[in-house]
Amino acid sequence: MDFDGDQIEKLRPKIRYKVCYEVGFYSADVDDIVQETIARFFVATREEKIHNPAAAGAFLNGICRNVISEYRRRNMRDEPMPEIVPEPPTKTLPATDLFDLREAIAQGLGQLSERDRRILKSFYLEEKSKEEILRDTGMTDENFRVVLCRAKERFRAIFVEQTKHRAASRH
Amino acid sequence: MEFHSDPVFREEIIRRYLGRALDVRTAEAWENHYLECDECFEEIRATELLIQALGEPAVERRRVNDVTIYRFAPGTQLLATSLELSELTKAVRLETDTKVLIDLSKVSRIDSTGLGVLMNCYCHAVKNAGVLKLLNPDAPVRRVLSVTKIDSLLQTFEDEAAAIESFH
Repeated sequence: MDFDGDQIEKLRPKIRYKVCYEVGFYSADVDDIVQETIARFFVATREEKIHNPAAAGAFLNGICRNVISEYRRRNMRDEPMPEIVPEPPTKTLPATDLFDLREAIAQGLGQLSERDRRILKSFYLEEKSKEEILRDTGMTDENFRVVLCRAKERFRAIFVEQTKHRAASRH
Repeated sequence: MEFHSDPVFREEIIRRYLGRALDVRTAEAWENHYLECDECFEEIRATELLIQALGEPAVERRRVNDVTIYRFAPGTQLLATSLELSELTKAVRLETDTKVLIDLSKVSRIDSTGLGVLMNCYCHAVKNAGVLKLLNPDAPVRRVLSVTKIDSLLQTFEDEAAAIESFH
């Protein structure tokens, strides 16, 4: 199994997300962990250590977990953190991008009807099950799916647009 | 585990993953999957945005005598991506209040963008011959205000009555 540079680069945002999820979105070490994971994965593919190509994601996840565990062990050995942790120079979005993102999110929300918002809030924020929502609102399973898919469609478009915009501004 | 068979099931998985409510085995299976699947990765990011939007930027505005008090919902984080920041900026800039008190008691975290917005609001108030003060910041926020020395510029109070009294 062989991964070329482009395929590895396509994996980077996903690994980065997984690492952020584990160590925190504001950790200054995120990029180091991602890079180490990718390097080990790259070596493993070159040495043909992935025996089951259908489970490449699991293999990559395993490597990532190992790197994170090592990072945590190393942190615990090191000196305790200072009481006031200076804000790390994370790669936050530029102010204009953040403004655009906030505007896009607000616009996406504005396109949802009051009823749709109520249903989505019940599902995502109040963590009600589909069955509970159907019972409470009297809507059909099909209607619920339409509401959910329509909202996701809009917000997926926002995410894709933002990703494209950021990629374009990097070049 | 099949994640593509039912969109609602997948959304439940994503919702619980984001809320860190998945059991270890399911979370691992989900991570194994999305690391390989572009579609599901996009779905996670889209759900994050949707949840962020639904979390409504709640900035409550009320008046006590001639003092306008802004207050946030519990657990608010004034970070670069927070919609509350836009709401606060809009509220402070569009109104003509000259005595503004921002209640930070429910704000759990603030970053440099949040501080920047507070400073912008402060500058706007000063330009309009107004005053802006802060009320009851939580310990982490207080620390940030102290480290950045913003607390030496923006008067901070522990008690709402005392803060209101200080405007007169």
